[in-house]
Amino acid sequence: MNNINNKLKKDQNLAMVIVGDRCIGCDACYVACKTDWDVPALKEAYRTKVWEVEGKDQQGNPTIGFLPTLCNHCDNAPCVDVCPTGASFKRDEDGIVLVEPDMCIGCKACMIACPYDARYYNEHEQTVDKCTFCLPRTSVGLDPACVTTCVGESRNFGDVNDPESNVAKLLKEATTISRLKEDEGTLPNVYYVTVNY
Amino acid sequence: MSRHNINRRGFLKLAGVSGIAATAGMTGLPSPLKANAKKEAIKGARFLKYDRGVHSASFCEMCFWNCGVDVYTRDGIIHKLEGNKLNPNNRGHICAKGNAGIQSTYDPDRIQSPLIRTGKRGEGKFKKVSWEEAYSYVFDKLDPLVKKYGPETLATFMHGTGEQYVHMFSAALGTPNITVPAYSQCMGSREMAWALTFGTGVSGHETFDMANSKHMMIFGRNMAGAVQVREAEDFSEGLARGSKLTYIDPRQSESAVNATDWLQLKPGTDMALALGFIHVILRDNLANMDFVRKYCYGYNELLEHAKQYTPKWASEKTGIDAKTIERIAWEFAKDAPNVVAIPPRRMTRYGNDTQTVRTIAILNALMGNWGVPGGVFVRTAVPLDLPHHEHPPAATARRADGVGEGEKYPFAPPSLGRTNGIYEATLTQKPYPIKAWMLYGTNPISHSSVGVNNLYKAMDNLDLIIAIDTQFSDTVMHADVVFPESTYLERDDAPYIAKDKVPFVALRRAAIKPIYDTKGCYDICKGISEKFGLQKWFEHSPHHKIEEFVSILSDEQKETLEKDGTLLFEDVDPYPGASGNHLKFATTTGKVQLYVKDLDELYEKEGDEFSPMPIYKDVIAPKKDEFRMLFGRTPHHSHARTMNNWILLELQDDTPIWMNPKDAKYLGFKNGDMVKLVNTDTGFTSHPEALKVTKRIKDGSVFVHHGFGHQTKAWSRGFDKGTSENDFISDGIDPISGAAAFHNGFVKVVRA
Repeated sequence: MNNINNKLKKDQNLAMVIVGDRCIGCDACYVACKTDWDVPALKEAYRTKVWEVEGKDQQGNPTIGFLPTLCNHCDNAPCVDVCPTGASFKRDEDGIVLVEPDMCIGCKACMIACPYDARYYNEHEQTVDKCTFCLPRTSVGLDPACVTTCVGESRNFGDVNDPESNVAKLLKEATTISRLKEDEGTLPNVYYVTVNY
Repeated sequence: MSRHNINRRGFLKLAGVSGIAATAGMTGLPSPLKANAKKEAIKGARFLKYDRGVHSASFCEMCFWNCGVDVYTRDGIIHKLEGNKLNPNNRGHICAKGNAGIQSTYDPDRIQSPLIRTGKRGEGKFKKVSWEEAYSYVFDKLDPLVKKYGPETLATFMHGTGEQYVHMFSAALGTPNITVPAYSQCMGSREMAWALTFGTGVSGHETFDMANSKHMMIFGRNMAGAVQVREAEDFSEGLARGSKLTYIDPRQSESAVNATDWLQLKPGTDMALALGFIHVILRDNLANMDFVRKYCYGYNELLEHAKQYTPKWASEKTGIDAKTIERIAWEFAKDAPNVVAIPPRRMTRYGNDTQTVRTIAILNALMGNWGVPGGVFVRTAVPLDLPHHEHPPAATARRADGVGEGEKYPFAPPSLGRTNGIYEATLTQKPYPIKAWMLYGTNPISHSSVGVNNLYKAMDNLDLIIAIDTQFSDTVMHADVVFPESTYLERDDAPYIAKDKVPFVALRRAAIKPIYDTKGCYDICKGISEKFGLQKWFEHSPHHKIEEFVSILSDEQKETLEKDGTLLFEDVDPYPGASGNHLKFATTTGKVQLYVKDLDELYEKEGDEFSPMPIYKDVIAPKKDEFRMLFGRTPHHSHARTMNNWILLELQDDTPIWMNPKDAKYLGFKNGDMVKLVNTDTGFTSHPEALKVTKRIKDGSVFVHHGFGHQTKAWSRGFDKGTSENDFISDGIDPISGAAAFHNGFVKVVRA
């Protein structure tokens, strides 16, 4: 684990650790998130979403799985790089990637640049919007909305640098760890793990 | 399902901006904003504050399993619902539906005032009236019917926290025809089988200790998809701790994701499979004989009876190979007693449902898992001397639905009744005229019920339909008089007092004042009762019930309940079996009934369907070119109640028709083709739906999600979304429980 996330010097290294096989696909996270952040009533507008992935095993039998997705708060964030105004930025202290609405001109370059399709354009607010790791909630001591409501207790949030945190423990105990599209070099901060209890 | 196909990049393209955006990204357009030092200084500051709002305690009513909910209100508007951390129903979490309670409350399509019908039934034309006019209307129409036919001419249907008041009104008026559809249209056969075997039901919050189980053997109960939060949590916790999962279902539901074995059996053969397991367990001496000797009745009879059901036989019936049946029976028994065999929940399927669950109950009994971690836990009542209120005496008239001693369904509970039996009695007007319905939170037209066409005919026989609801369901649109109920966020309700693994009490206090001219069910029933001079049964309002309950608590308990919204009574033992305490079973023999003595007489008289030990018979098969119509729950909606909730509609607003690739190939269809379902009995044809070709559904069957296809024009968003399975299901009856059997309906699938 030493090679993960030591590229940037951050006081905190906030991450979401998703225990993949605990997600039951109920989409409570989707509704909790949209409600808390007044995300517009539009199918294409969301900050987090669970994908049902259908596949086949080696014998050709059908398989299904669930893939919760959200902004990866990348350490090497392409959205920040392409933003012409500085509205998309990464916080030095904890690595959260945000969009400052007052500075966003709605050019949507970041939406194209993001390999995770994590952003949408909020027509009401005339700004690009996305997951903030629920910074407003965490700044008053609450868990993110999606973590709070997660029925399967699949989602975990915290500071990887703190060895006592749930996320650090999960990453330590995990039998497999993966991140989405690692080959893009984005250094994402959302981890998908499997754990043997 | 639509959620798989949404492509936000597609949205981007549609918006016609990709070119501009790409240009901007590449050239790095100079921006005056970038140089704005003031904005740089405040950048991100808005993300550092969060107003949680004012807290109030409640419990959810988006479905009927009442998760504890903390309501947060900002400036009089509910901003957020969160799971109550202490409430054992959900331990801090709520599902998509629970989170969406706000959208249902602030839905302008809600019923906003009392209404009286002006147009034809079902046309949806109403006039706004005062409460007084609405109460008088009920009296003016119902009183003559009661005088002519007796109070039993009124049948009442109820589902929801306010149902106690409808119950009260019904009893005070003197009608015995009280029905709770959760029995005959849902869990009746399961509860009946459990009661005949163990002397108690599974109960609404299922008594399966999944979190501690070493092997869950689940027969068509979609724990992950038909979300009840506690059950879903326990299920995923059990799996995370390494429990085996044998998931048995013709459809690969959400619950099959992490199955050790998914057994895609032929529909309607669950009993054969369970009998095969029982055969192996008895043949190979795998039963927990300590438990069997001490607590079970009829072991020797079962030993003989099960000999005929070999794995080879079970394999022929189910399509699951015999070796797998042998292996799983061994694996299951190996981890006994910390294992659990779980029956379906909505067990209104093939008409052999009580006997099928009996077989599953026997599997549990043979494992000796009663009151054992990982098996079946035992519930305890709240250890308080609860306030007692006088109830009207039970009605003396004979029930119209065949429930009661000496009637066709002597085992069915009169407190719940047979909703399907009431439909039939209303259609035939036998054994006596049913001329009025009062519906509280129930919607026979959209909920699975006896064939919709017959239902309309039955409703034609009614002189009065009274509806109490929060929203214009398809059935409310047919009502003569409509009472708008406040939602659970707008009203106080009586305390939720739960007999449970850990007994507890939860409070519900109104978070906001009613948005529209609505009232709670208590006030509505009281208003109606006053017209009949029956108000003396309505002295205790929900608010009063809360106060009265709180008054019997200690100061410490009071403080906890007020602060946390939940009060737990943790000094209980849900595992008396493991503790070595003597177990009690409230059956006729006082034992766990492998052999149900209570059925002897009916078996003699009526034959195999009533056998004291389950006898397998093939269920009716589809004819050539016909498909069995299967349906089940989606995680995104509650029953047929939430299809006008915008946020839940985003998650699902359609019902693709699932079909096996074999069948699709035979019919020349491919994935995504538009098709229609044709009811082979009535000829009724659905509107076009997309075909989902997938091995996730067994060949010979088609599947749709339950609860869609609403024809209520008052629903601006939910109108006509998807297909209602109601038009295609069977109207069979389980002979023991009297509950419905829906899965023997057959359809043809034609190109649209």
